[in-house]
Amino acid sequence: MNDDATSFLPLSPATLHILLSLAADDLHGYGIMQEVARQSEGQYKLGPGTLYDNLQRLIRQQWVEELGRRSGDDDPRRRYYRLTSFGRGVLAAETTRLAGVVREARLRLQMAKPQIPKPRRA
Amino acid sequence: MLRSLYRCLLRLHPPGFRRRFGDEMLSIFDQAAGKAVACRLLGDGLVSLARQWGLRPEFWDGISPAPTPQTACDGIPSFATIDPFRPRTTAVIHGLVLSTAVFCLTCFAIRYSWIHVLHVHIPEVQFESPPVIEASAAPPAMPEEPAVPSRQKTRAKNDAPGPFRVPSAAKNKAPSPPPASTVPQSETTGATPAPRGLAVYALAQAVPAAVATKNRAVQIPAPANSKSQEDSGASPGPESPHAGTMPPAPVEDVKIDAAERRRVVDGAIANLEKYYVYPDVAHRMANSLHAHEKNGDDAAAMDGAAFADLLTSQMRNVSHDRYVMMVYDSTKKPENPPPPTSEEVARYRKEMLENNCTFEKIQILPHNIGYLKFNSFPDTAICGPAAAAAMAKLNQADAIIFDLRDNPGGYSNMVALIATYLFDHPTHLNDFYNRGENSTEESWTLPPVSGNRLADKPAFVLTSCSTFSAAESFSYDLKMLKRATLVGETTSGRGHMGMGHRIDDHFTIRVPGIRVVNPISKTNWEGTGVEPDVKVKAGDALATAERLAARELAKK
Repeated sequence: MNDDATSFLPLSPATLHILLSLAADDLHGYGIMQEVARQSEGQYKLGPGTLYDNLQRLIRQQWVEELGRRSGDDDPRRRYYRLTSFGRGVLAAETTRLAGVVREARLRLQMAKPQIPKPRRA
Repeated sequence: MLRSLYRCLLRLHPPGFRRRFGDEMLSIFDQAAGKAVACRLLGDGLVSLARQWGLRPEFWDGISPAPTPQTACDGIPSFATIDPFRPRTTAVIHGLVLSTAVFCLTCFAIRYSWIHVLHVHIPEVQFESPPVIEASAAPPAMPEEPAVPSRQKTRAKNDAPGPFRVPSAAKNKAPSPPPASTVPQSETTGATPAPRGLAVYALAQAVPAAVATKNRAVQIPAPANSKSQEDSGASPGPESPHAGTMPPAPVEDVKIDAAERRRVVDGAIANLEKYYVYPDVAHRMANSLHAHEKNGDDAAAMDGAAFADLLTSQMRNVSHDRYVMMVYDSTKKPENPPPPTSEEVARYRKEMLENNCTFEKIQILPHNIGYLKFNSFPDTAICGPAAAAAMAKLNQADAIIFDLRDNPGGYSNMVALIATYLFDHPTHLNDFYNRGENSTEESWTLPPVSGNRLADKPAFVLTSCSTFSAAESFSYDLKMLKRATLVGETTSGRGHMGMGHRIDDHFTIRVPGIRVVNPISKTNWEGTGVEPDVKVKAGDALATAERLAARELAKK
C-alpha cells in the first residue's frame, strides 16, 4: 500500500491538513475546519469551499469515506467523514517524507557556514 | 440577507456538489459569527462556484469512485470503465468565443473587403417572410392598380406588347388563342401558350450554349407551325398528342436517310431565310447548309440527334449566333400542338401567385433605400397587381435598387410596367423588329401612376452574368435613358428573341427572329451583354449600390 501511496506525494497543504485532522477521529466539515485551524495554530484557515472541494476529490480517490449523519448531533445537516486505511497510508507516507525533509533541512542548516560574497569585477 | 445570498451561491453550484455538500456548507455559514466572517464565507463561496464549474467538470453530476483497474481471478487485468473525460469548461468557452469571433471576422471580411480573393455571395439577412400581396393590400395611393391592363389598352402604341419571349407573330398565328388584336390582357392570356412551355423555354434559354438534346424540342412554345411547314414543303405527319398535355407520343425509330436530310436542310434554309433577324447572315447560313449537304458532309450523321448537332454547328460557324439551333426529338411532334388547357393556365397563375410573382424581396434598407429583388418579369395579366403592390411598398423610399442578378427575363409588358414608376411621362423604351412579319412594335412605359413618388428618385439596377433577356432589356433601357445606374457584372447578351419552327415530326429549328432595337442607341446588347456603369462582382453589387445610393442621398 505504501508503495502506491508514495506516488501521490507530495500532498497539497489543504489535503495534508484534512487528512491530518481526520487521523485521530471522525469529524464533520465544520469540525475539520476547526481542527485544521487548531493544528496550524490559526495560521492556516480552510474555507468551506476549499474544504468540500478537497473532500469530494478525497472521497473519489477513496482516501476518505463519508459516514453520513449522526443522530443526536447539534445540527442534523452535518455529515461525518473518516480516513480510510488507504488514506491513512498516504498520510503516513507523507509524514515520513516530511520527516525526511525536516531532518535534511536541520542537517543542512547546522552545517551551513556564512558565505562571503566574491568581489565583482568592474 | 447575507445568508440568502450565500444560499443562492450554493444553488448555483453544479448539481452533484450542491446535493452532496450544500446543506453542510450552509450549516457552517450558520455557525459563522459576525459580518466579517460571513463576508469571507461569501467570497469563499464565489471562488468555490467558479472552481466547481470551471475546473471540476468530472464532479458536476456527483462523485463517482475513480476507475480502478480490476484484476480478475485468473490474474488478467480487466478494464471495466471508461474514464468520464470531459474537456474543461474554460476550454469549451474559449473555443466557442474564439470560433465565433473567427467566423464573424471571416464573414465580415468576405462581405466588405475590397480585395476580392473569395467571391462568395453572402445574401442579406431577411427578417421578414416574403410578403404575400393581395389585391386589397395595395395602398390607396394607387387606386387604378387593377386597371393596369386597361391603361395598356388605351395606349395605341402598346396595343400588342406581348410577352418578351413569345413573339406576338407566333401568337397571332397560333390556332386557338383569342385574337391578338383585341386587348393585351386577353392576348397575353392566350399567349400563355404555354405556362409550362414558357417556363421551360426560359430554362432552355438560360443554358444558351447547350447543344440540342432530344427533349429540348418538346419545350419550345407553340410556333407558327402551319406556316413554316407550308414554306418548307414538309408534309405534315399524322397527328400525335402534345407531349405536355397528354401521354407522351411513342418513340419512333427514325432512320435518317438522304431524303430526310435534304428535307430537314431545306426546311432549315426556308425558316432561316424567312425569320432570321439579319437577312444577310441568314443567307450565308443557308448557303453553308446547302454546300455541306451537297458535299455529302452530312452523310456521316446517322441518327437524328447527331444530325441536329451537326446542322447547329454548321449554322453557328457562319453566324456566330449561339441561339440558332436545330433540335431533334425522338418522340413525334404534333403538327398543331393543342393550346394550353384552362387547368394549365390556372396552375400557372396559381404558381405565380403562390411565389408572389417571383418578387422575392421588398425591403427598405438603411438610408431609406428601397430594395426590390425579383426573379422574373411575369405577365402583367397575372402579376400586374403584385408588381403594383411591390412598388407601392417602396413608394416612400428616397432611392430604389432593382436586383436583377437572378432574373432570367420574361414579359416585356412587365418591363414597361415597372419602368413606368421611374418616369413622370410615357417613355419610349424599345422597338421590337419582327423579321418574319417585317413589322416593328414599340414598347412604351404606361401613363404615370398617380401618387407615385419614385419618378425622380435615384435608381440602381443590379446585374450579373445570369441577368438575361427581358431583365437585360430593363437594364439597357434605363441605362440608355440615363435613368438608372447599373451595378454589377456584364449581362448574358440576349437581345434577340427566337422561337421554334417545326420542320417535320422530329426536327424543329429555333431561329432568333425578333430583334430589340433601342430608340436611343439604335441597337441592342445581343452578344455583347449590357455593360454596367459600375463594374463589380455580382456578390458585391448590392453593397456597392447601397454605398452609391447613400452617397447620392447625402449630396442632397
